Amino acid sequence: MNYKRFIYYQGTVGMASSMIFPFYILLIRNVGDSYAQFGWAYGLFALTAALCYPLIGKYADRIGDKTLLGVYSWGMAILLLFFPLASEVWHVYILQVLMGMLGAVQKNSEKTVLARYVTKEIAGTQIGRYHVWTSVAAALAVIATGYLVDFLTIASIFYIASLVFAWSGLQLLKLENTAA
Amino acid sequence: MKTVWIILLYLCVFGLSVYVYSTQLNGPAAELHQRLLPVEIKMVKAGMSEGELKQIVLNAEKTGDVLSIAGMQHSQGGQTVYPNGVMVDMKPYNQVIEVNEDEKTVTVQSGATWSDIQEAINPYGLSLKVSQSQNIFTVGGSLSVNAHGLDIRNGGLTDTVLSMRLLNAEGDILQLSPSENKELFYAVLGGYGLFGIILDVTLELTDDELYETQTASMPYRDYPAYFKRQVQDNPDAKMHLARISIAPESFMEEMYTITYKTAEDQTPFPDYQKLKTENLVAVPKFFLGLSRINDAGKDSFWNAQTAYTQQIDGNLVSRNNVMRSDSEFMEYDNSRKTEILQEYFVPVDQFEHYIPALKAVVEANPDFNLLNVTIRYVGKNEDAVLSYAKEDMFSLVLLINQGTDTESVQQTQDVVQEMIDVTLKHGGSYYLPYFGYPTKGQLQEAYPRTGEFFELKDRFDPDHRFMNLFYEEYRP
Repeated sequence: MNYKRFIYYQGTVGMASSMIFPFYILLIRNVGDSYAQFGWAYGLFALTAALCYPLIGKYADRIGDKTLLGVYSWGMAILLLFFPLASEVWHVYILQVLMGMLGAVQKNSEKTVLARYVTKEIAGTQIGRYHVWTSVAAALAVIATGYLVDFLTIASIFYIASLVFAWSGLQLLKLENTAA
Repeated sequence: MKTVWIILLYLCVFGLSVYVYSTQLNGPAAELHQRLLPVEIKMVKAGMSEGELKQIVLNAEKTGDVLSIAGMQHSQGGQTVYPNGVMVDMKPYNQVIEVNEDEKTVTVQSGATWSDIQEAINPYGLSLKVSQSQNIFTVGGSLSVNAHGLDIRNGGLTDTVLSMRLLNAEGDILQLSPSENKELFYAVLGGYGLFGIILDVTLELTDDELYETQTASMPYRDYPAYFKRQVQDNPDAKMHLARISIAPESFMEEMYTITYKTAEDQTPFPDYQKLKTENLVAVPKFFLGLSRINDAGKDSFWNAQTAYTQQIDGNLVSRNNVMRSDSEFMEYDNSRKTEILQEYFVPVDQFEHYIPALKAVVEANPDFNLLNVTIRYVGKNEDAVLSYAKEDMFSLVLLINQGTDTESVQQTQDVVQEMIDVTLKHGGSYYLPYFGYPTKGQLQEAYPRTGEFFELKDRFDPDHRFMNLFYEEYRP
C-alpha cells in the first residue's frame, strides 16, 4: 500500500469515527441509566479489544494489513447501521463488543503499516507528519458534524458515518483491483 | 466482481436499517417510550426575542415538525417530549420583566424559576401568593401542570395569574386573561403545553411577612378536625403541610403537621428577611437513603423527621423562605431503580375513611416501596379544564422507589391503578404530570371534562403542532 494512500485512508476513517464519537457517548448515556452501565459499556469495548489483539496480531502478518483494514472499513460500515436501531442496554453492550473487535483491528493495522513503512532514523518526523493529517481530518469532522446535528437527527449522523466507512472500504477494494 | 457484491450487500443492509428505523419512528406510542436516541432539542438561547421564538413555530409549520415545550422537565409522564419532534427548551427565556411595587405584581418570562422571582421581589418586601412547594420549577411549567403549594389562603396558582401572553400554533401572540380569550386562558393553565408557548406571565403578589412555625402530631383520625379548627378557621394560619408515617411501627397511623402562622410580633421581621441560600442536604439525604433499604431505615427516618419537626416548633421564618423548600436531598441515582411520584386528591371529609383503604392496598403489596407521604391542602378550584380540586381536598404526594425492569414497572402499575381506584371511590382525583400508569378510564373518571380538553386542543391547534407523549397516551 502506498504510504500517501494510507494517510488518505486513515484520514477518511478517522473522520468517520470522530463524526460519531461524541454523539455515540450521547447514545450510551441515553440507553444506560447509570454511570455503572456507562462504565460497563466502555469496559466491554476495551476488554474485547484486549482479547482480540493476539489473534489479530498473528493474522496481520499472514493475510496482510490491507485486508484487515478492509475488514475494519466494511465492518464499521455495516455495524453503524445498527446504531440507530439500538433501544436497550444489551443492544449497546453487543455493539460495544463488536466495536471493540473492529477497533482492535484498526489500531493494530495502523501500527503495523507504520512499522513496516517508517525508516528508523526519521521515524519521529514521519509518524508526526502522519498524525498531523489524520488529526486535522478528525477535527474537521467533529466540528462539521456539530453543525450537521442542528439540521439532521442523531440517527442520520450514524448513517452518514456508515457511508464514509463504506467509501473508505471501496478505496481499499480499488487498490486491490489495480494491484491484481 | 467482488466489489459489486460487497456494495450490493452493503446497500441492502443500509436500506433495511433505514426502513426499520423509520417504521420504529411511526410505531405506536408504547414503543415510542422505549426509543432511546434523543430527539432533536432546539435550545432557546438566553436573550432570545419573541420574534425568534415565533420563527421557531413558523419554521415548524413549514417543515411539518412537531414541537414539545420544556422547562425543568420534572414531569414524569412525557409532557415535555415527543419522539422525533423539536423540543423548545424555555429555561434560558427567564427574564424578570417588571416588578410593580404599587400594584404588587410581577411580570416574568415563562422560563424564569420561582426562585428567580423570589430573588427579584424579596428586596421589595413582596412575596408570591401561591407557588409550588419547591422553587426549582419554571413558571411556565408550573402553570402548565396547574401546580399547587403550601399556601391555604390564596386559592390555586391559576387564581394568581392576572394575564399572560401565548404564542400559538399559527405564530400569533395572544393576550390571555380571565376577561380576554377566557376559554383559551383556562385551557392553557393546566394545559400541559398543548396549546402553545407561554411567553410571559403577570402574577399577583402579596406582602412578605414573618411567620411562626407551629407543629403538632396526632393520629390520622384526628387530622381533619384539627385542620378545620386549628388551621382553616384560624385566620392567622397561612401555610400548612403534614406528613403521615410510612414507618412500619406507625404505618399510616401517626401524622405530624407544620403550620405557618403570622407572627404576633412582626418587629424582628427584617432579621429574617434575607433569602435562605444553604440547606443541609446531607442529613435528610442520609435518612432517605436508609429508608430505601429496609423497614428499620424507615423507622429511623420517621423518628428523625418527627424529632426535627418538634425541634422547629416556635421557629420564626419569613414567608418567602417557607416557599423556598429544596428538593435536592431527593436526588437519586441508581441503575436498576428509580423513584417516582404519585399525587392523589381526596375530599377533606373523606380523609378519615380514605387512609385505611389506601393503607390496605399498600399493605397487600409488600414489595411496594413507599418512602414518603406529604399532605397539603387544596381549596376547591375548577378554573382549569383539567381541574383536580372538585371540592376542598387534601393532596397526598407519594414518593415511591421502584425497579426499572419490566416486571417491577408492571407491579408498580398494578398498585398505582389500585390506589387510584380507591381514590376515585372516595370522590378523589389524581395528579396528571406523573408517569402514565393510570388507565384512560381512570382519567375520564377523575377528570370529567377530559373530552372537552381534547376538543379544545383540536380547535386551538388543529394541526397538532404542539405535541407530547402525555397527549399520545391519553388522546381519544
